[in-house]
Amino acid sequence: MDNPLSGSRVLLVEDEIIVSWLLQDMLADLGYEVVGPAARVDQALAIIEAEDIDAVLLDLNLNGQMSYPVADALVARGIPFVFATGYAKNRLLDGYQTFPVLQKPFHRLEVGDVLAKLLTQEAPKPASLPSFQ
Amino acid sequence: MVFTDAKETGNPIIFANDSLLALTGYNREELLGQSINFLVEGGADPETRAQIDAVFGDRADTSAEICCRRKDGSTFWAAMFGNPVRDRTGEVVQHFASFVDTSKHRQAEDRLRFLLDELNHRTQNTLATVQAIALQTLRGHADKEVVAAFEGRILALSKAHSLLGRETWTAVGLRELLDQILLPFGLKNGGAARFSVEGPAVRLQPKAALTLAMVFHELATNAAKHGALSESTAGKIGISWLIEPTPKGERMQLRWQESGGPPVAPPGRKGLGSRLIEGGLAQELEGEVRFAYEPSGVVCQIVMPLPHVELDRSG
Repeated sequence: MDNPLSGSRVLLVEDEIIVSWLLQDMLADLGYEVVGPAARVDQALAIIEAEDIDAVLLDLNLNGQMSYPVADALVARGIPFVFATGYAKNRLLDGYQTFPVLQKPFHRLEVGDVLAKLLTQEAPKPASLPSFQ
Repeated sequence: MVFTDAKETGNPIIFANDSLLALTGYNREELLGQSINFLVEGGADPETRAQIDAVFGDRADTSAEICCRRKDGSTFWAAMFGNPVRDRTGEVVQHFASFVDTSKHRQAEDRLRFLLDELNHRTQNTLATVQAIALQTLRGHADKEVVAAFEGRILALSKAHSLLGRETWTAVGLRELLDQILLPFGLKNGGAARFSVEGPAVRLQPKAALTLAMVFHELATNAAKHGALSESTAGKIGISWLIEPTPKGERMQLRWQESGGPPVAPPGRKGLGSRLIEGGLAQELEGEVRFAYEPSGVVCQIVMPLPHVELDRSG
């Protein structure tokens, strides 16, 4: 795969193990190095703290817990990310409405496109950062 | 219900019945003499203002749904029905308005909306799991082509579900459906010039939308493999439709025409694609399909009834 962004480190945050395998395969096919997967908010936060990450694919709903605290931490560090969700985009919290979203189920072309955009553009900032402290 | 004085500014309340007192928590003395806006939440908002003015205007049998405020500060939605009261000369002297609490109805609607969102979310998640299970199961055991075909079909189904979910499962525009289904075939990604899509606005019922989503996906997949969208050709696909009345209601004639691709020949064996196209439409939509492998490219003509179709003005 002649992806110029090949080798970029992408953190996968997804609670359903079999879906995370699918994404790992897709990301590997695209030439990315997969970090994780993290299945819970605290796991994701720990990895972000400890490792160098270029972009994050972030499932919105982690076994009933919304992943906004992870999103907040990524915004604070300027790490670009895309939400993955089966919900319609308008269900995102107000401050995150303008952020990129991948609709489930995943289309490998869309996964490729959105990651390429994330890794070449500046990370978007939320209109007003929601607080989850 | 209330009567208000039309000759004073602000429509002061001159009569309030017991059920309005019970609904708002005020006693009669507290309400009499107050402007009707006293009961309205956000009365300064121009839209609410206009609604109140309409109910307390010159026209008979007006109505509006207004957010109202109780004495304890809590709010409720009420349907207000207004009528002017005229004196002998025809001049409006009072207004009569009744209030119906619609909060329960609103709550039920919100709850339904929430459940529908949940259902859509779960459907999409389940399809994502099906996709993942299939790919893990087939990994190493099946051709890449077979895996891609399966994945493409699941994704086409999911796009149709997602569009229907957005419209609370009522109907989907044919053009929106085509946009979604043709997206992975390059409709929006530089390949747009290879497609021409023309026809009047059509709203499809859920069953028709799901079936046509699969049919368009199969046609496009076939075009990508063997026809006008195959690599190293500059082929084009024209999709056009018209609606015509029949004694049994409206029907749609849709034409998918490929050109500029390599010469095509009928397949030796019928795969799921042609079964979906011919069988799916015939059985599920009482439609007819004519499939022709003309030298210039595949032509697929679909004729299907459009039950209860509404023309969507927004296109």
